[in-house]
Amino acid sequence: MTSFPAVLGLVAMLVATVAVGVFARRFARTTSDFLVAARAVRPTANAAAISGEYLSAASFLGIAGLVMKFGYDVLWYPVGYAAGYLVLLIFIAGPLRRFGAYTIPDFAEGRFDSPRFRRLAVALVIVVGLFYALPQMKAAGITVASAAGVPYAAGVAVTALVVVTIVVAGGMRGVTLVQAMQFAVKLFAITVPVFVLLVHFGTPGGLFAALAGHEAPAPPQPVVVHAAPGDEWQVTQAISVHLDHPTPVRLLPGARPPAVYVGAPQAPAPAGDGTATTLATATSLPAGRVRWEQGTDVRLPAGQPVPFGAQTPPSTTSSWLQPFGPLAGGSGQPLLFTYSLIVAILCGTMGLPHILVRFYTNPDARAARRTAWLVLVLVGLFYLWPPLYGVIGRLRAPQLYTGDLTDSVVLLLPRQVEPRMLGDALAAITAAGAFAAFAATLSGLLISLAGALGHDIYGRWLRPDASGPARSRAFRVSALGAGVAAALLGLLVENFDINVLVGWAFAIAASSFFPLLVLGIWWRGLTTAGAALGTAVGGGAATLAIVTTMLAAASPQLSEVLIRHPALAVVLAQPAIVTIPLAFAVMVGTSLARPDLPGGVAGKMLQLHIPDRLGLRRDYIPE
Amino acid sequence: MALEKEIPAGELRELEEQTPVGEIFLGALMRRQLALSLRVAATLVAALGVQPLVAWLWPAYGALRVFGVPLPWLVLGVGSYPLMIALGLYYVRHAETIDDEFSELLEPK
Repeated sequence: MTSFPAVLGLVAMLVATVAVGVFARRFARTTSDFLVAARAVRPTANAAAISGEYLSAASFLGIAGLVMKFGYDVLWYPVGYAAGYLVLLIFIAGPLRRFGAYTIPDFAEGRFDSPRFRRLAVALVIVVGLFYALPQMKAAGITVASAAGVPYAAGVAVTALVVVTIVVAGGMRGVTLVQAMQFAVKLFAITVPVFVLLVHFGTPGGLFAALAGHEAPAPPQPVVVHAAPGDEWQVTQAISVHLDHPTPVRLLPGARPPAVYVGAPQAPAPAGDGTATTLATATSLPAGRVRWEQGTDVRLPAGQPVPFGAQTPPSTTSSWLQPFGPLAGGSGQPLLFTYSLIVAILCGTMGLPHILVRFYTNPDARAARRTAWLVLVLVGLFYLWPPLYGVIGRLRAPQLYTGDLTDSVVLLLPRQVEPRMLGDALAAITAAGAFAAFAATLSGLLISLAGALGHDIYGRWLRPDASGPARSRAFRVSALGAGVAAALLGLLVENFDINVLVGWAFAIAASSFFPLLVLGIWWRGLTTAGAALGTAVGGGAATLAIVTTMLAAASPQLSEVLIRHPALAVVLAQPAIVTIPLAFAVMVGTSLARPDLPGGVAGKMLQLHIPDRLGLRRDYIPE
Repeated sequence: MALEKEIPAGELRELEEQTPVGEIFLGALMRRQLALSLRVAATLVAALGVQPLVAWLWPAYGALRVFGVPLPWLVLGVGSYPLMIALGLYYVRHAETIDDEFSELLEPK
């Protein structure tokens, strides 16, 4: 379905992004400009840019979608994203800026005098960066697809093209300006429509009261949902529907077999079972599962419980409203699940390479701390609103459960506002905001991926004697390569939940870079071997756990093992609670067992902690 | 502990030349900064971490309402942000004070 105003919103945002990016191009000449904007960005501008970059598609689209799907438990995501910034502020913002390196690999090498450690850090930056780029690509695909009625892949391709263009043209200098503008767009685009929606559909108190009246989500008006061939719906109680044309289906009794919910697509039940029949146009869907053998449009009646799509676990409103609802409760180990999620998000923020690199763009440590605090204020202001879209969505647009489209609720809900013109305008605004969200985060990721490839691998390892222009060229080529790789991988994740993908990037970052940074900054006794081993073990264990979880979604045998051992399933899907302590333990244990400290550790600690005004500090990489 | 007791005034040179005395000064600064960070972190972890526990031990928590909105939603989804912003402000103020006191002690008079 094409929505002209939404396309307009997208195009406006696209033009603004390219225009600002190209305008900023004139400022970008040296490597320093590209990677750290010559370290001259003021706290206010920098905080807006960091917030712009941080508020990714996971924040703009994903939180609302996940709240709609799972209810209360999801609030831990936005709160954790904001709290992660507080952790970053209190433990590393100041010291890391004082140290004055470009990237995490620079820190790893500089603090520990080890070029080998740099290569390990580069590898992890690339893993985390790509993991984080996938959900942005998914958001790009669904946003452009839902607005313009083009295929998912086209949305991914267009977005990758735009983002690569601004990064290649402007580097960090240009991106700072673009991202600051995109923050303003996102805040506007999330708040204005939500206020109109509240005026339209009632106060938060009224919305929750209305929700409590429907144990099963039901549309207020009749709605039409498209069923694609192969789709499987879980019908919680028999409803009468109207089909486009008589359609062959298979009816399977009972509920879907239990599955570990991991946010990855669920393996379909084996084909061939169930009763084959052909449904007439006016018919009733019996309780149980319906597998569509042919595509058709299904008209769902008003006030009747909607079926749930294959990727959406059915939920009752009372469990949805409560702690340990379908998300944490569905895991079988609610408390463990909740705490592991909190830990991953709290500790993961500071390990995200594209966020950290921004702190080097502050002139000094004082500015870095103030910047981090301002970011906390700005993102806090933003995160108040997305959950409301999820609440209104459950009440007003439950057909999104049927189509597995909850990730699109921010884009689709405004279209329900009357009069039509107002609804269209709001849809244009949220589409523009979504574009700003994935474009800002993707450009930040490309900067850090290109930094890892062009600066760390090419500039420091392969060709340490390369000239300035050669370095800039390497950076641009790397940005292009990273953009293409992210787009290709992005094509694979159409059915994954945005926030679950993001959660994985956080878990890997939290288990590797978080212990490295905290101990590297605050403990002079950390040895090179300890730091490298802990980073590798933590990052490796988290990656392994997550890959196992993804495989379980495709493998019935593995999935069965996990269903029998819910605690194991939770720890594999949310590994941070185990892998962070593991990484700390390996770092401390190795360092204590063989305490051979890296050279010049006293000087390194001085660089990290000496107050700016004493004038003793030197940037690790001078201008 | 007050820095004055640990660090005699006017000893910037000790730091710059990374003498053992300088390392002691720096260690004192790091301990104060780290203690501040851990204090703020502990408050944050306690404020967030207690919520799942309350909901677990006292299931009626989930049914409480304020102006029709479930209390757990308000506490977590709204109340967390002012708390974190206040904690951040407290941290920035105190971290800058610690840095300034340290600098004043060491700067040549």
